[in-house]
Amino acid sequence: MLIPIAILFVLIAIGVFFWAVKSEQFSDLNKQGHSILFEDDKEQHNKSND
Amino acid sequence: MSDNCFHCLESVPKGFNATVEIDGKAQPMCCIGCQTVAENIVAQGMTDYYKFRTVRSGKVEQLVPEQLELIKSYDNEDIQDEFISATNDLSEVLLTVEGITCAACAWLIEKQLLNLKAIKRVDVNTSTNRAMIQWDKSVTPLSQIITSLHEIGYKAYPFQADLEASQKQQAAKAYIRRLGVAGLMTMQVMMFAFAMYFGMFSGMEENFEQYFRWISLVLASPVILYSALPFLTNAINGLKAKQLNMDLPVSLAIFGAYGASCYATLMSVGEVYFESICMFTFLLLLGKYLEFRARLKASEFTANLQKLLPLTARIINSDNQESIIAAKKLKLGDVVLIKAGETIPADGVVTKGKTTVDEAMMTGEHQPVNKFISHQVYAGTINHDGVISIEINKIGQNTLLNQIIKLQHTALTKRPRLVEITDKVAQWFVACLLLFASITAIGWYQIDPEHAFWVTISVLVATCPCALSLAIPTALTCAVASLTKRGILIKQAHVLETLPQLTDIAFDKTGTLTQGRFTIERVELVNSQFSEADALRLAAQLESFSEHPIANAFATYNDSVNPIENVTIEPGKGITAELNEQHIAIGKSGWFDTEKADAQATLYIDKQIVARFYLADSLRGNADKLIAELHSQQIKCHMLTGDASNSGKRIAKQLNLDTVHAACSPRDKQIHVEALASEGAIVAMVGDGVNDSPVFASAHLSIAMETGADISKNSADVVLLNSDLTAIEHLLTVSKKTRRIVKQNLALSLIYNGSILPLAALGLVAPWMAVIGMSASSILVITNSLRLLKL
Repeated sequence: MLIPIAILFVLIAIGVFFWAVKSEQFSDLNKQGHSILFEDDKEQHNKSND
Repeated sequence: MSDNCFHCLESVPKGFNATVEIDGKAQPMCCIGCQTVAENIVAQGMTDYYKFRTVRSGKVEQLVPEQLELIKSYDNEDIQDEFISATNDLSEVLLTVEGITCAACAWLIEKQLLNLKAIKRVDVNTSTNRAMIQWDKSVTPLSQIITSLHEIGYKAYPFQADLEASQKQQAAKAYIRRLGVAGLMTMQVMMFAFAMYFGMFSGMEENFEQYFRWISLVLASPVILYSALPFLTNAINGLKAKQLNMDLPVSLAIFGAYGASCYATLMSVGEVYFESICMFTFLLLLGKYLEFRARLKASEFTANLQKLLPLTARIINSDNQESIIAAKKLKLGDVVLIKAGETIPADGVVTKGKTTVDEAMMTGEHQPVNKFISHQVYAGTINHDGVISIEINKIGQNTLLNQIIKLQHTALTKRPRLVEITDKVAQWFVACLLLFASITAIGWYQIDPEHAFWVTISVLVATCPCALSLAIPTALTCAVASLTKRGILIKQAHVLETLPQLTDIAFDKTGTLTQGRFTIERVELVNSQFSEADALRLAAQLESFSEHPIANAFATYNDSVNPIENVTIEPGKGITAELNEQHIAIGKSGWFDTEKADAQATLYIDKQIVARFYLADSLRGNADKLIAELHSQQIKCHMLTGDASNSGKRIAKQLNLDTVHAACSPRDKQIHVEALASEGAIVAMVGDGVNDSPVFASAHLSIAMETGADISKNSADVVLLNSDLTAIEHLLTVSKKTRRIVKQNLALSLIYNGSILPLAALGLVAPWMAVIGMSASSILVITNSLRLLKL
C-alpha cells in the first residue's frame, strides 16, 4: 500500500524540520528570507560575466 | 551628485570631498569613518550589501586608542572566562553587535568574519542584534574579530546570556518543535479522518475502516504524547499546588479522548476522536506560541545590556607601574587608576586627584557629584573629567550596586500577584464539566450501560475548551502586537490584566516626569556688548569639548564658527581656550575671583564675567496632561524621588500630585510602595534609574523609560520605547479594550460549549460534528481578538 510510504515521508519531513530548528533557521525569519539574494562570491560572478 | 553620504545617507558637510567607487560609480561620503568602511566593503567584494539593504547604515565613528585597548583586553584569559565557552578546540562567543538594521547587515557581518582565518561558523540574528561565533582562538584572537567588525562599521562587545534568557530560548525552540510535529501529523490524521467520514455516509468495508483507525492511532500518538505533553504536566503541577487551571479540562479532553480512542481501535468498538484532539492540540499550541513569541521579542530587546561594571581595571602596583587586569581579580586594598570617561570597577576611597562623578545610575540625579581625596566612590558610576586613584574598600557582592541588585531579587520572590482571570474561569468550568460528565455517565448507565462510556467521552470532546483556552492568549497577542507598533514593549503576561485594576501610580522624578537632562532656562547678560545669541554660541562651542552633562544643554546652539584654539579642560572648574588672542572660559560661578551666583555655568572673557546661564531639568511634555487624565480615571499619583532638594515638591505642586516622598533610598521607595499595597491598592511604578529597580519588583506593575538604565529596563514589565508619558494613557486604553474583548471571547466560547453540551449528553454528536463545532468556535474567537490589532 501507499500509506506506509506516505508515513515514511512524513517522518522524513519531521526529521528535516527538527534539524532546521536545531540550526536556528527559525530564530530569525527575516534574515533567512534575504540570504538567497546575496551572491556568495562577487569576484567570481564578475569574471563569468566578462 | 547627490548631497547625501552613500553609506549612512546623512548629508555631506561642506568642504568634505571624499568618494568611494562602488559598482563602477563614484559615490559621495560624509566622513572618514564612512569612507573607510565603504572602502573595506568594496575591497572585500561585498557591494551586494548596498543593493539589498532595506534600512540605512548607522553613521560610523572611528575607534579611539582607549577603545582599542579595551578590545585588546578581551584577549585576556581571565576575562574571557565570563563569556566564552569552549567545546573541543573551538571556542564559542556571543557578541552583541550595535547597528544591525536589516538582513543585509547580517550577510555583511557573516561574510566579513568568514574571511578571517580559523572562523568555523557565524550566525547573526537580526532580531536580537547578536552574533554567535565559533572559532579557533589559538589562531585568531577575539580582539581581531571585534576590530574586523569595526572595519565594516559595527560596534561589538561580548554578550553574557543570563540563565533566564537562555531558558526562554530553549522554551521557544521546544514550542516550534512541538508545533511542527502537531502540524504535520494533524494534516495526515485529518486526511484519513475525511476518508472515514465519507465511508460513514457511503458505506465502507469493515476491515478498511479498522486499518484507517490503526494508521490514525500511529499518526496521532506523537501529537498527543509529545506535542500535548506540556498541557498534562501543567495540569498536574496545578493539581499538586491545589489549583484547577485551564490546562486541566484541556488535558482531560485530550488524554481522555486519546485513551478511549486507543481502546476503541484495539477492541474495534465505539468511536475514534484522533482528528479532533490533534487539531485541538495544534490550535492551542499555535495560540500559546504566538503569545510567548510576542513577549520573547520584547524581553530580548532589552536583554542586550552592556555590562554595568567594566571587565577590566587599571591597577597600580607598589612601583607605580600600571597594568590592566580583569576587574573580578581586584582585591581589597588595591589601588586603581581611573581616567576621565571610565566606569569605576569597584567601591573605593579616592587617594589621589579630584574629579566629578556621574552617579545618575545610582541616584537618578544627573547633576555630577564632586569627589576629592577621602571621598567614597561607587562601582558602576562614571568618572567625568579628572584622573583619580582609588583604594578599593568593597568588592563583588558587597558593592553598593550589587546590594541594590540583591534588594531587587529578594523583592521579586515576594512580589504581589493578582489571580488571573483564566484561572478563575477554569476553576468554575472544571467543576461544571466534571459534574456534567458524571451526571451523563450515571444517567446513561441506568438507561444503556453499553453506550455510557462512549457518550461520556463525546461529552468530554465536545466540551473541550478549545475556544475558551484560545480566548485569552489570542487577545493578549493582538494587544501586545498593537502596543509594540506604538513603541510600548510588554514583557510580562500579567500586564494587560493588572492595568485596568490600577488604583495608584508612583513616579520617579528625574528622567521620568522630567527630561533627565538640563536645558537652558535663563541667560543673564552681565556684559552688554554681547547679544544673548552670541554668548550662547560661544558658550556652546566651548562646552562641545566637555563630557559634562551640563554641556549637553548647549549642544543645540553650537555652530563651530569661532576660530578657537588651545582648549584645555580644568577638572572641577571648567574649560578655557583662546579666541582672537583673548582668553575665554566657561565654567563654575566664582572662577577667577569673580562674584558668585547660583548659575550652573558662567562665561568669562579675559577673566571677566560676560554671561550667566541658569539651567534646569524641565518637565517632560505631556506630563501634566497624563496626570490630569489619570486623576479623571480616579487613579492616585505619587512621586518617589531620590532627590533631596525641594524641586520634587515644586514639580508635585505644579502637576497636582497626591503625595510626594523626597530623598528616598531604593529601600525607602520599596517601603512606600509596599505600604500602599498593604492597604489594598494596586500600584504601578514608573521609573528609569538603577535605584528604581528594587521598587519595580515590589510594585504590581513596573514601567521603565527607554532612556533609563539598562538594568531597570531589563527588570521592568513594560518599556516605553519613545519615553513618551502619553503612552501610559494609551496603555490603559488598550488594556481596558483587551479586557472587554477577553470577556466577549469567554462569553462566545462558553455559549458554544454550553449549547453543545446537552446534545453531546444525549449522544447526538458524532466525531465530525465535534471537529467542525470546535474549529468554528475557535475561528470566531480569533477573529474577535484580531479587532485589537486595529487600535
